[in-house]
Amino acid sequence: MLEARNLRKSFGQLTATDDVSLEFGREAGELVFIVGPNGAGKTTLVNLLTGYLSPDEGSVVMDDQDITDMSPDERVHAGLARSFQVVRVFEDMTVRENVRTVVLARQKKTRSMFSLADRHEEVEATVQDLLEKFRLEDVADAVAEELPHGDRKLLDVAMSFGLDPNYLLLDEPTSGVSTREKEYVIETIVEVSKAEGVTTVTIEHDMDIVTEYADRLIALHQGAVHGEGTPQMLETDDELRSLLLGVEA
Amino acid sequence: MSPGLVDRDGETHVRVIQGLVLSKRRFAGLLLGVVFLFAVPDLVRVAQALDISFFQLGVIHRGLVFGFAAVGLNLLLRHTELVSFGHAAFFGTGAYTAAVTAVYLDVTSLLILLLLATAIGTVMAGIIGALSLRHTGLYFALLTLAFGQLLYAIALGQSALGGSDGMPVRPGEANEPLLLGQSLGDAYGIILYYITAIIVLVGLLVMWRIVNSPFRYALDAIGQDRTRAEFIGLPVRRYVWVAFVISGVYGGVAGGLFAVFRQYVTPAGTLYFLQSGDILYMAILGGFKTLLGPLVGGVLLVVLEFVGRSVTPYFEFLTGAVLVILVFGFPEGIVGSIGEDGVFRRALARGKRGAADLRENPSVAGDWARRIGGGLRRQIDESLTTLRVIVFGVS
Amino acid sequence: MASGLETFIVQTLNGLQFGFVLFLVASGLTVILGILDVLNLAHGELFAFGAYVSVGVFGYITGAIAIPAGGGIVTNVVFVLAILAAIVVTGLVLVPVGVIFESVFIRPIYERDQVYQLVLTFALLLIILDVTKFIWGDVPIRTDSVYSGINQIPTSEFLGINFPTYNVFAILLGAVVVGGLFYFFERTKTGRIIRATAINREMATAIGVSTDRVFTLVFALGAFLAGIAGAVRVPPTAATLDMGTNPLVLSFVVIVIGGLGSLRGAFVGAVAVGVLRSWMITFYPPGEVAAPFAIMAVILLVKPEGLFGTWGETA
Repeated sequence: MLEARNLRKSFGQLTATDDVSLEFGREAGELVFIVGPNGAGKTTLVNLLTGYLSPDEGSVVMDDQDITDMSPDERVHAGLARSFQVVRVFEDMTVRENVRTVVLARQKKTRSMFSLADRHEEVEATVQDLLEKFRLEDVADAVAEELPHGDRKLLDVAMSFGLDPNYLLLDEPTSGVSTREKEYVIETIVEVSKAEGVTTVTIEHDMDIVTEYADRLIALHQGAVHGEGTPQMLETDDELRSLLLGVEA
Repeated sequence: MSPGLVDRDGETHVRVIQGLVLSKRRFAGLLLGVVFLFAVPDLVRVAQALDISFFQLGVIHRGLVFGFAAVGLNLLLRHTELVSFGHAAFFGTGAYTAAVTAVYLDVTSLLILLLLATAIGTVMAGIIGALSLRHTGLYFALLTLAFGQLLYAIALGQSALGGSDGMPVRPGEANEPLLLGQSLGDAYGIILYYITAIIVLVGLLVMWRIVNSPFRYALDAIGQDRTRAEFIGLPVRRYVWVAFVISGVYGGVAGGLFAVFRQYVTPAGTLYFLQSGDILYMAILGGFKTLLGPLVGGVLLVVLEFVGRSVTPYFEFLTGAVLVILVFGFPEGIVGSIGEDGVFRRALARGKRGAADLRENPSVAGDWARRIGGGLRRQIDESLTTLRVIVFGVS
Repeated sequence: MASGLETFIVQTLNGLQFGFVLFLVASGLTVILGILDVLNLAHGELFAFGAYVSVGVFGYITGAIAIPAGGGIVTNVVFVLAILAAIVVTGLVLVPVGVIFESVFIRPIYERDQVYQLVLTFALLLIILDVTKFIWGDVPIRTDSVYSGINQIPTSEFLGINFPTYNVFAILLGAVVVGGLFYFFERTKTGRIIRATAINREMATAIGVSTDRVFTLVFALGAFLAGIAGAVRVPPTAATLDMGTNPLVLSFVVIVIGGLGSLRGAFVGAVAVGVLRSWMITFYPPGEVAAPFAIMAVILLVKPEGLFGTWGETA
């Protein structure tokens, strides 16, 4: 399980994260969605969990190990990966090279980074597999910079999955993507998560997607947890629904 | 996985070593290059007879040595996208190490001198790297330049190092380093050249290996997006430091080779920031997006310097002008421009199209003239406006 | 006054003078770096060029107006005015140089890889170097003949200390320019526009600022400052072809200490470096070179963004 324990983070006067305690991955492959209006602190939470930011108070625990002091790259090797709200990929490389870099980066020892392509075929097979899973094989040789937005989003997510994580944090993977593409981005994410047993935490604004796919959803508002529940509960529990949907601006 | 012939895409290729598979044409080119490299001492004699002044052993040797340093620099430049303006620091450290150990520690063995030069040069790279690696871009360039100049100033100021006059690299009775205990006598220069050639080849092979390993992808990733690189699990600072140290190895070796072949080291010739600029220049001139480019650039630049200096005292201006032309016209450098996408082919294609246009429609020439004239007039207008603005304040 | 203390004060003042001159150079460099994102490697050569130009201009002025001889107030005042004129003219000469450099050479490569910008300013360095050599030759120009009038001015005396008047003049002039610079950036409209462009280029364009013009203006300002720095620096010393390297490298140190793009930081850094250097020269010569770098290394390790952070937070 990936846990946030009493995380607190402020930027000057602004409290971005206010005593947040959450659990992700109650079972392997759990699909959790985080919702909330802009500025609620969703991205900050992801930044705290992944080590991009250090909390003022509180800790991050993964599989019973306190990772609060670990650097982002160490957390990756411990099994935690993320994608970015504003797409971050390696612009001058092709799609295939981007994915290949990720797969090659799985090696922890500096020394093994210099070994030649003896495992060349193994690596390429993994790369091809990922490309096909995320329906990127047709654009595999296009340079990342020139891809349309939807493909870039998919690439970012594919790269994060390519790290073979146990926990995956996705920051608005469908934002800016056309409605038609949205479906296949989310479907692919769900499919791969369930198949590989990757606990996936997704920040999402589209409530239709959330209600259809979530195992659990969490609402953040002004840095604090406003409510938590399952889509089923949303239907039956009026109070919860107004809490969550009211919050969802 | 041994050398031999291999089938790829239906054609026969040559496998040189594991992983290095070349088309027959490329292999022939490689072979030719190696043969040429080792034939230089003999070719020099031919050149002498033909009165080609620049093709001297000393000149080519010097070009190879500096070009080798540029190859090391290129690892940082091409992949990690870090411009170091202080590479002369490692070069000079290597050179001075050889000098100091020869003169003060009486080390006579050529190989030991080179080894020590490499080692200390690398240590220096480790230190400077540790201080600079948190930074990128222009700040990084600024820092490396500053550190390089610090070393220059230290060498300049220490009388034990010979101050501005520098110091000789003359150990032993023969006044020359010994190879495996033997004095080389008159053959010193030539044997040293062969040693340099061997080292250069090995160094290129090692660099090739590095550039075709997962590490290269890591460096590329770090160069293109440091944050993302960190978030795919790359220990960014450690890898940058490693790259820096590797480039330092090449610099140190080059400095050592320089010291034993010239047998004299000066602060201005080995540590001054203009030397760092030269090494960077070599990488750009030859084409920094290629492996061989910096080496070719090195030889080329040294030859050009030699020719240039004999032609005019205003050699720096010439260098500057060539650099400007390079930046605006040939950013891929010489080796880079020869490829299919290179500037030459593109310019040729454009020229052909232009000529075809002109033949069909002679008034096109008038159009061109008008466009160029208009452009110039616009530039002049703009500059005048800017001048007016500066003098009279922003409108 | 005890001679040890007197030496100390004199050397500190010398350091202050050098520091002010260094600030003039470093401020231009840091402003160009902060606003244009360009590391102008040719900046030291602009300084050197300014020095040469001022010697030439001063020589012309003194030749043209025949300073009344014989010492006395009139001679001294005319002399000082002549130097002032030389300094101003030098600055004005450097302005079009800066404009041309920026608009013709540097502007086209803003969008490209940083390596090209560095190679280009390096090329400009080499070009100015040889142009200077071409115009004035290889031999250093000793200024004693041209500025011999300096020695005729009685040294200033205050608190019982003797201090060359020219240095007093240089410090005062430096202070005026420093004050002028800060005033320019904090109070004038142009100055504020420039700062706005530095903080947010897109926003500035949105309110109608021509970034092209701002950039050229900033570069020209930098060139102007470097030029007058050279003009102020040269009279007691000499004009040599390699005089540009030291100010360039020390400016780097100043920028690291003070913070990228920060004028306040550049001022503090420049004065610190100048004074420290003076003390080292007097009391521990081998330390002269290493001392500024030692501070730089400490700052890099302890506060890597410099004492005053970056442009935008503090001017």
